[in-house]
Amino acid sequence: MLEIFTLSLLTLFALTSVVAAYLAIRERDLVKAIVYSAIQSSMYALIYYVLMAPDIVLVYIPVSVGLIPAVLLFVVKKTERYEGE
Amino acid sequence: MTNLALLTAYVIVISLYVNLGIALYGIFARPSLVKKLIAITILSDTANAFAVLVGYRWPREALPRPPVIPELPVTRSVLEEYMQSAVDPLPQALVLTAIVIGLAVTLFIAFITIQYYRLYGTVDVRKVRRK
Amino acid sequence: MVKKSDVFVAISIAVFVLSLAYVTSLGGLGPLPPVDARKIAYAYLNLTYNPWQPFLTAFALESVTAIIWDFRGLDTLYETAVFYGAIIASIALYRGVKISLSKKEWSKLGLSPIAKTVTRLSFVLIPTVAASVALHGHLTPGGGFQAGSIATVVIVLAIIIFSRYFLPKHGVSKNRALLFRSIGLMGVGLTSIAILLAALALGTNAYIFQNQAKLNSPLSFPARVDDYTLGGSLLFFNLFEFIAVAFGFTIVFLLLSVSEEEVRKVVTRD
Repeated sequence: MLEIFTLSLLTLFALTSVVAAYLAIRERDLVKAIVYSAIQSSMYALIYYVLMAPDIVLVYIPVSVGLIPAVLLFVVKKTERYEGE
Repeated sequence: MTNLALLTAYVIVISLYVNLGIALYGIFARPSLVKKLIAITILSDTANAFAVLVGYRWPREALPRPPVIPELPVTRSVLEEYMQSAVDPLPQALVLTAIVIGLAVTLFIAFITIQYYRLYGTVDVRKVRRK
Repeated sequence: MVKKSDVFVAISIAVFVLSLAYVTSLGGLGPLPPVDARKIAYAYLNLTYNPWQPFLTAFALESVTAIIWDFRGLDTLYETAVFYGAIIASIALYRGVKISLSKKEWSKLGLSPIAKTVTRLSFVLIPTVAASVALHGHLTPGGGFQAGSIATVVIVLAIIIFSRYFLPKHGVSKNRALLFRSIGLMGVGLTSIAILLAALALGTNAYIFQNQAKLNSPLSFPARVDDYTLGGSLLFFNLFEFIAVAFGFTIVFLLLSVSEEEVRKVVTRD
């Protein structure tokens, strides 16, 4: 019973992260691509939580949902916003 | 281990493989340097998720525990139960190191990308190749 | 308009993913989900807090922190060096750029006063949470990197909501952040050879990254004080790593927020 719960949560998060990653790569507006990649990273953080790894969740959420999108937004502001053809 | 549980475990692992494939496609086929950087972060995160997934375990009766000893003082029975129900701590330590190294590489590539724009005027790899 | 090379790349990646899926279904990753932990996991879990084997254990209640800073301490030292190298590369790229002060008056810079007042609350709360996570890293999940990443969110908030001139005006300049980063790194290095220096002064044997007493070296960090579990050298490692990571990220964000006109005066080729 409990393992069905764990496995169904993991499947939900994994499939949502596939959709978010596909949208991130396909998008031409780079600001929206950064937001989609942050959604995919938060799905991964939930996967790490269900897999009983609390140390990794505490590193992964500030780094991958807070710091890496901030750095990438600075880079997009200083270079081009829309990807070429 | 029922058939439904086995099938669901395969769905999880195969969706991680599909993430890997999407990230590789993003590195090879998209012309902007920032998009390649986003795809590199997705790739390294998927590899770290694999490592943590391999370190999981199913004990017989209940769910596994995170690798923290829950009570003091530590007697022999507490230690024995901890060893029988805790998740493998070694992949988690390696993944922590890998996250920090991936972060350092991403920061470095971000600075190099800004410098590219200052010197060449574009971050499109096809146009940079022609200059 | 789809190019031929894109289609070729897509097909080859699809073949790669399908072959990986086939190998996994044959049992390539072992039984899924994994049934039992490996023998090396039992060895590490056994030695985390084991008063019956005092020469091999780490006397900390958290296995992952004990592995990072005690059993595999050299790996963490090299990873800190890699992070330091990335920060040095970014500083070297910005050599000669001056971070100057603004010419507009202070009330016009940044966002509205409501946003500024609410952010001033988090200037106190977020570093408190980060320090708490760093200091109990050997008892519950936490540690140095976790706390450093949480404390960097304050820097990002200050640059976005106040302006980018706020931090240099109030004393957090690039050189001072570099100084504190180097102090944190030196703290990590000194803690790793602290027992070695003490043993050289007293004339006994010691190892590098030694936490507790081993078979032929009798010195050790204190493992318990009265009733509190100190975790030996893990407490000091977590504290210095917190300082080092937080100030390292401060340097990166201070450099990234300099405006492009000021940088182009110095950096581009003319």
